[in-house]
Amino acid sequence: MDPQDLQETIHTKLIKSGERERLKELLRERLAESGWENEMRALCRAFVRDKVTSSVRLDDLIKVITPRGRESVPDNVKAELLQQIRSFIASNAV
Amino acid sequence: MSSKINGQVSPHSCSHLLQFRRRNGPDSFRALQDCLRVKPPGGRASIRRDPAEVPCCQACGESGSNRLYACVTCAAVSCHAPQLTSHAAAHAQSMSPGHEIAVDVDRAELFCCECRDQVYDQGFDAAFVLAQNTATTTTGSTLMQYSAEPGNLRKRRRVDYRHWSPDSRECVTMTNLSTPLYDSTNSSDVPWGLRGLNNLGNTCFMNSVLQALLHTPLLRNYFLSDRHNRYHCQQKNVANNDGKNGRLCLACDVDAMFSAVFSGDRTPYSPAKFLYSWWQHAANLASYEQQDAHEFFISMLHRIHEKEEKDQGKPHSQGSGDCCIAHRVFSGILRSDVMCMACGFTSTTYDPCIDFPLDLEPNRGGSAKSSSTKSHNSCNVEAERISLNKDCSISTLKGCLERFTRPERLGSDQKFFCQKCQVRQECLKQMSIRKLPLVSCFHIKRFEHSSIRKMSRKVDGHLQFPFSLDMAPYLSSSILRSRFGHRIFPFDGDEQDAPNDLSSEFELFAVVTHTGRLDAGHYVTYLRFSNQWYKCDDAWITQVSENIVRAAQGYMMFYVQKMLCYRASEK
Repeated sequence: MDPQDLQETIHTKLIKSGERERLKELLRERLAESGWENEMRALCRAFVRDKVTSSVRLDDLIKVITPRGRESVPDNVKAELLQQIRSFIASNAV
Repeated sequence: MSSKINGQVSPHSCSHLLQFRRRNGPDSFRALQDCLRVKPPGGRASIRRDPAEVPCCQACGESGSNRLYACVTCAAVSCHAPQLTSHAAAHAQSMSPGHEIAVDVDRAELFCCECRDQVYDQGFDAAFVLAQNTATTTTGSTLMQYSAEPGNLRKRRRVDYRHWSPDSRECVTMTNLSTPLYDSTNSSDVPWGLRGLNNLGNTCFMNSVLQALLHTPLLRNYFLSDRHNRYHCQQKNVANNDGKNGRLCLACDVDAMFSAVFSGDRTPYSPAKFLYSWWQHAANLASYEQQDAHEFFISMLHRIHEKEEKDQGKPHSQGSGDCCIAHRVFSGILRSDVMCMACGFTSTTYDPCIDFPLDLEPNRGGSAKSSSTKSHNSCNVEAERISLNKDCSISTLKGCLERFTRPERLGSDQKFFCQKCQVRQECLKQMSIRKLPLVSCFHIKRFEHSSIRKMSRKVDGHLQFPFSLDMAPYLSSSILRSRFGHRIFPFDGDEQDAPNDLSSEFELFAVVTHTGRLDAGHYVTYLRFSNQWYKCDDAWITQVSENIVRAAQGYMMFYVQKMLCYRASEK
């Protein structure tokens, strides 16, 4: 099976079994616990405050915050999520 | 582009949204309400045509990485990537006009594909909130009644802190008319103002609270900077011909105590005059019996308030803290939301509070805060699961606060009269903090007095408390945001008041602990001076390590706001 198909299969299985939802909630919880959420909120506020002239659009905000957010996810959170996905794949014989 | 609702500025509705509403009338979002799926707990809501639906973009089949938006006009689902392609925007353009407004399927928030920005619609948000509270959607208009925002929360402009330095004339005044508190020849590294208090006969309950108050930063500054001059006050009392009672001013005695404690004298001080004065005020508690430290704390603040109110002649609302120094420092505002489970009607009330009473155990039998184990509501199943987990782990202050702000189902024996249904209904109650006090006092309810069983008992369990505490998750704005997502709320005008990152951060500075039994116990206070802890056991002050403090049985914990914000004066 080529990588693209494999990815799609895993993706579909994750969604159908409800695992994706559970992982999303877990991720939310971990990010909140580690203070990442607060940091992002502070960044957003700072960005909006600096934009003196016009109001900020959601898309602009997302464009600016996304790379900052991705790079500041704590390593242990990444590791935990990866581990969970791995064990899901293993136990679901993909 | 912004409009005013209830006198508050609301987020703008773009022209496309306004057109959509005009075209589709009051029931514009009716179809969406039917698709609202709420997943308790946390109340995260999404839009799904059927519960098992896995939405994916009709253009590219994408269903994972990007936000998915459903067009509110034709229900077509498209993906939207702010940086790259947006099939949602393409859909809006190709089907234009009329298909610009879409809803985020995972967050149930409105988006305008033309303007590329989130938009808000009061009707939709109100309908959304209603749908969240009920299993079935209702017809007709939604009713969200909020009791009037506490009017005393005047929207004063926030100003930057300006450091004050005395000019030459003020320097002269200061040198001539004041006594310096800090003696530079005092080379000891024991903090200034740290002085033992003699026990005058089971008065450790009073000594412990006094130690905490003597070192409450704002209170200390107020009295040491002569804001309540006892000589002046006494003269005024006599002049007002208040008779014998006129001389009674607890604040004057507090002022005298501050002067004595911060005089530099290190020998233990006997607060006899203060005790005598307090007895005059609280005649029922005037004895040499052990009292409850918390009760004393409340009584003392109350007396200071009363006298101030009498002097000023007009009552101030306590929440604003304009009435007296006690409320200025300690009072906050609590918000209570009671939602009828049948119709979703929410009744909100605001009450001032001078401290935060917290229950210790998660599942106390008689306490009203315990979740009913017989309930079939899935919310409660989750709450049960969480509390079962907590039984195995240690009690923490954060856990207590979470429990304090958790939605609580008022069971069938506590039905609330719903104004809309006009009958008593079961409802959901949730507390949150509308306004944080400058100094938060957490009172752990360790003493249970049961009038039914005619007995009292003490709850001994250990409570873990942090040295730094962020109160943001317990604020009304946070609680509502987690309940509903990003919505317009009719009262929401306090974006200016919205706590910045620092104004919800608190630092622990005093802990009043209780050891022993209910009838034979002892109060001790631990004070923190720039990360060094001191144990104040009546007349004995000793330096201790922070581990001792962490292991202590906290009864009252005092936290002060880390950063103070200033508002323009009314004058």
